[in-house]
Amino acid sequence: MSREIYAYRCRKCGHLHYPYRMVCAECGENEHNEFDPVPLPKSGTLLTFTDLYALPADFEVPKLGLGIVELENGIRITGQIAVAEPRIGMKVRGEVEVVRTEAYDSYYGMVFREA
Amino acid sequence: MRDVYAVGIGITSFGRLEYPLSEIAAYPVMMALRDSGLREVDQLYVANMGSGRVNHQTGLASAVVDTLSLTPAGAEVIENGPASGASALKQGFFAVASGVHDVVAVTGAERMREVNNLEATEFVATLTHPIAESIYGVTLPSLAGMFTRAYMEKYGVTSRHLAMVAVKNQNNALLNEFAHLHQEISIEGILDSPESMTNNPFVADPLRFFDCCPVSDGGACVILASREVAEKTGRPLVRLAGVGQATDTHCVHEREEPTDLLAVRRAAKAAFQMAGVGPSDVDVAELHDAFTILEIVESEEAGFFKKGEGHLALERGETQRDGRLPINVSGGLKGRGHPVGATGIAQAHEIVLELRGEAGERQVEDPKVGFTCNFGGFGNNVVCLVFRREN
Repeated sequence: MSREIYAYRCRKCGHLHYPYRMVCAECGENEHNEFDPVPLPKSGTLLTFTDLYALPADFEVPKLGLGIVELENGIRITGQIAVAEPRIGMKVRGEVEVVRTEAYDSYYGMVFREA
Repeated sequence: MRDVYAVGIGITSFGRLEYPLSEIAAYPVMMALRDSGLREVDQLYVANMGSGRVNHQTGLASAVVDTLSLTPAGAEVIENGPASGASALKQGFFAVASGVHDVVAVTGAERMREVNNLEATEFVATLTHPIAESIYGVTLPSLAGMFTRAYMEKYGVTSRHLAMVAVKNQNNALLNEFAHLHQEISIEGILDSPESMTNNPFVADPLRFFDCCPVSDGGACVILASREVAEKTGRPLVRLAGVGQATDTHCVHEREEPTDLLAVRRAAKAAFQMAGVGPSDVDVAELHDAFTILEIVESEEAGFFKKGEGHLALERGETQRDGRLPINVSGGLKGRGHPVGATGIAQAHEIVLELRGEAGERQVEDPKVGFTCNFGGFGNNVVCLVFRREN
């Protein structure tokens, strides 16, 4: 089973949100749970990135690539960037993988590689 | 609304302090009371972000009001991340302006060196979005690094411009006896020399070690009061004339324009509007340079320079201590240090000192209007203040 990360579509106006929010940012619809989950596309464009060297203690790597990607449907996401020489504007493709392990918990998120 | 005046100020040394957090918060109140000649307050606000997590102490305001023997005055902690200080001043402002209280002490304190630098960075990273940012290892330096790269690409800001901010502010801090860093640096030393590879490594590429503020302990206090009280103190009349606040999306990636800091623009505009002055009237400013890029961008968003031209004003020396608009003469967060809860109040402390003409060696020439920008989260909650000297 492939894992997905979801955006949330307002049932009233159709606006997509990522991450989840309780009230629609577009139309202000405030009935509870009036959003449909929509899997995020995996391909997009790298908007900006950094190599982080001062890492939280649970990361056992010397540096970590992080970036913001604009996905095909216009939604933006923060994710890990596993690209040797990233450039602004490059096409990337994401997979949902374990991005952080703290104690006995594993967290899944989007890891982007060169498309 | 009544007019509100800053009648007393006090500050601790910033850096590593070996006394308890409650005393770091209380000591500046003692200094500020002495400065104003007042003995009692109606209300105490304590700006703090990390007491529960870093220092394992909650109910900080109750501890501070008691150790100062100011009971039964009201006392609360105000938390708004790294903008807690200016948020607490905002609360103090409305308490006096409303007529409910005549004298409010607003103190801010943090004791972050209780843990090591990485733990302190992780503590501040709890500000980020839990499921859309934090799980990836996102910290404030990494958000600043991503922001800086986009800014460089769009506006032509270079590592040299960033280093110019670091050099200006650390060298300003040499004249501030309370500053955390008393270390003279040069562009040559941190960017051009062979040693710069080791003394100024990348933290979050393109941001290097000297682009980031230090992790500090420290406290600062400003006492706010009505005009009637302010006149009785006999101190120079400095009015807190404008308070503006604005919020933005929690996730940085949701901002429509990745190189905008809309909350700064909106908070500054609101503060100027209330104060009845504009950016061109400002004589001295303290901006939130937790990362060097932020001083440049805030100077644009506040309206001092056109968007994308802050680094050019920096190049021309306009933001130097003797320039057209001195920015961060105290050393800023970069040089003075950044005890998160105290920073917004330390900024106000510096502006009051400058407007009174009591800033000693770092006094700028006859300022009448001062501005502060206190930046919470990565720009998701910003509070700006405008101070005016009246006599």
